[in-house]
Amino acid sequence: MLDGILIGLSTAMMPTNLMMVMVGCFIGTFIGMLPGLGPISAIALMIPVTYGLDPSSGMILMAGVYYGAIFGGSTSSILINAPGCSSTVVTAFDGYPLAQKGQAGKALALAAYSSFTGGTLSAIMLLVAAPALAKVSLSFQSSDYFALMLVGLSAVAAFAGKGQVLKAWMMTILGLMLATVGIDKGIGVERFTFGLTDLMDGFSFLLLAMATFALGETLMGILKPEKDTAGAENSALSEIGSMKISKEEIKEVAPVALRSSILGFFIGVLPGAGATIAAFLSYGLERNLAPKDKKEEFGKGSLRGLVAPESANNAASSGSFVPLLTLGIPGSGTTAIMLGALISYGIQPGPRLFVDNPEIFWSVIISMYVGNVVLIILNLPLIPYISKLLAVPRTVLLPMIIFFSITGVYLVSFNTIDVFIMIAIAMVAILLRLANFPLAPLLLGFILGGLMEENLRRSLMISDGELSFILERPITLTFTIISVLVLVAPVLLTILNRYRVKKAKLVEKVG
Amino acid sequence: MQSSNFSLLNRDRVSGLIFLVVCFVYGYQTTQIQLFPGDEYEAFTARTLPYLLTAAGIVMSLLLIVMSPNSSCPSNSCEFDSSDEKHMNWKLLGAFIVLMTAYGFGLTWLGFVLATSLFLMVGFWLLGERRKAVLFGASFPFVILFWLLLTQALDIYLEPGYLFLSLLGS
Repeated sequence: MLDGILIGLSTAMMPTNLMMVMVGCFIGTFIGMLPGLGPISAIALMIPVTYGLDPSSGMILMAGVYYGAIFGGSTSSILINAPGCSSTVVTAFDGYPLAQKGQAGKALALAAYSSFTGGTLSAIMLLVAAPALAKVSLSFQSSDYFALMLVGLSAVAAFAGKGQVLKAWMMTILGLMLATVGIDKGIGVERFTFGLTDLMDGFSFLLLAMATFALGETLMGILKPEKDTAGAENSALSEIGSMKISKEEIKEVAPVALRSSILGFFIGVLPGAGATIAAFLSYGLERNLAPKDKKEEFGKGSLRGLVAPESANNAASSGSFVPLLTLGIPGSGTTAIMLGALISYGIQPGPRLFVDNPEIFWSVIISMYVGNVVLIILNLPLIPYISKLLAVPRTVLLPMIIFFSITGVYLVSFNTIDVFIMIAIAMVAILLRLANFPLAPLLLGFILGGLMEENLRRSLMISDGELSFILERPITLTFTIISVLVLVAPVLLTILNRYRVKKAKLVEKVG
Repeated sequence: MQSSNFSLLNRDRVSGLIFLVVCFVYGYQTTQIQLFPGDEYEAFTARTLPYLLTAAGIVMSLLLIVMSPNSSCPSNSCEFDSSDEKHMNWKLLGAFIVLMTAYGFGLTWLGFVLATSLFLMVGFWLLGERRKAVLFGASFPFVILFWLLLTQALDIYLEPGYLFLSLLGS
């Protein structure tokens, strides 16, 4: 392990990679501060840039963008109550009231220090957990992988928002369907190409990610114009107040940061859960644990209420790298995009990554820590200047983002057909958004589709076409049971809730 | 139909129906995938996963159609509801889609610099930007700098448009 850490350190500390972390954090913070554009879009926009880099630098850049985007999202949550992404919604609960009390500087500093604590603790936990899990998963066979992918896909659907479970499943299936377009890698026959040579290679992952997120979100911004927040953010920043935090305050929030980081990390590790759920859960936990007088402060500018979600969402972001790096299963939409990028580099994520490409494995982990340091040393003092960039009016910003999305895809294939396919997919993505279908499961299904089919094929071939392979290996069986439970649990809960409501109504009537 | 909130054919059911049609088309196309002689004895063919997905897709769409409550957004849990629709600017979105499509053709016919500059300029204008300094300043100079970066610094070859090729006769 020490060898690996040293390899990671030497790769992450290379001047080019240090620059990648800084640039990534800076760009991520900027994009994260734009309401409506989250980490997924920020990373999608970066993919074409990373194609020109070596895989380690590319992954380091994307990890930096991920952190930066979450940090940027917190900034806009605190200053103007406009979360840049869903994982920073909870930050606004207490961050914004603090800013209204004239303590925006303190809130920003606390958010940065909490993020740093969350990031640091989770990087340490990742350092221990990832290699251990990678070693265990080296014994995995095709059937185990197939079952594991089922867990990943079902979990993502299960963690979808209220009333969206069924829709998330449908989007996963649509993603899997899209993954079957093109020449079948196992047998070599064309599937769903309609005789078009442009479809023989299947849909490009980059095109799909750009169309559904970067382009889709920007076009949603045009369809449903939001208030231009650049002015509000600038004026809020002109009077942020002191960034100093007293010793008593540190004493009060330190245990909160510690608890939330640990909770956040473990939630991040679960496939499908992620920063948003981690932030909500830690906020709820801290509110319950707080003494009575402190409990009343929640929602009115509580320091604990700000520190808890900030530590948890950063720790969860790092945690979501565990299944990605060790099992090749993305834990969230953002890591799904990173998985796609790794596959595009010709690298097979999974347990072998730890053995075959230790420099990528370790440098990503080390760079996470570097990213946290960069955020606290560079981005925190630079926040007023970064937000100046937001003074660029939306009238200029939106066409620029569309241009970067289209050019990003065009410069990889130099084929204008891709531009037209991208526009068509973006239109479908808008309709799906309007019908409240989550799009992250679609991307996840698409990315995992090829791998899942390959492993199912191998498993069935080995077991001579018998589905008994599910029962033969304990790991496969365990994963299959987990995925069935994850699939059935939301339906059972819904039925149970309906039964409870009916029962309560009956009791009311009788009463 | 009692009110706008109560409808048998709400957004969820329409989505479910569309997805059902997509699954049927996908299922039909699955039957058209070529099989090699002897494939019928194989445990796994190119059709296996698509058949499974078709079946799963049909079940899911039927569940959505059947289980969907009569209001599209029963618990205010939706990202968008009908009240949002009033504020949606479909005309502007349509204009941008036409603009992006024209940009796609422009890349082939006008070349990168001219097509991109025009795309940006019209895009700014569509969103309400009327300052000439921004309209021209943020489009042509920016795109020329970007083009120089791509062609000179990154050594990426960008074809001139067909229009220029035919005018220059090469």
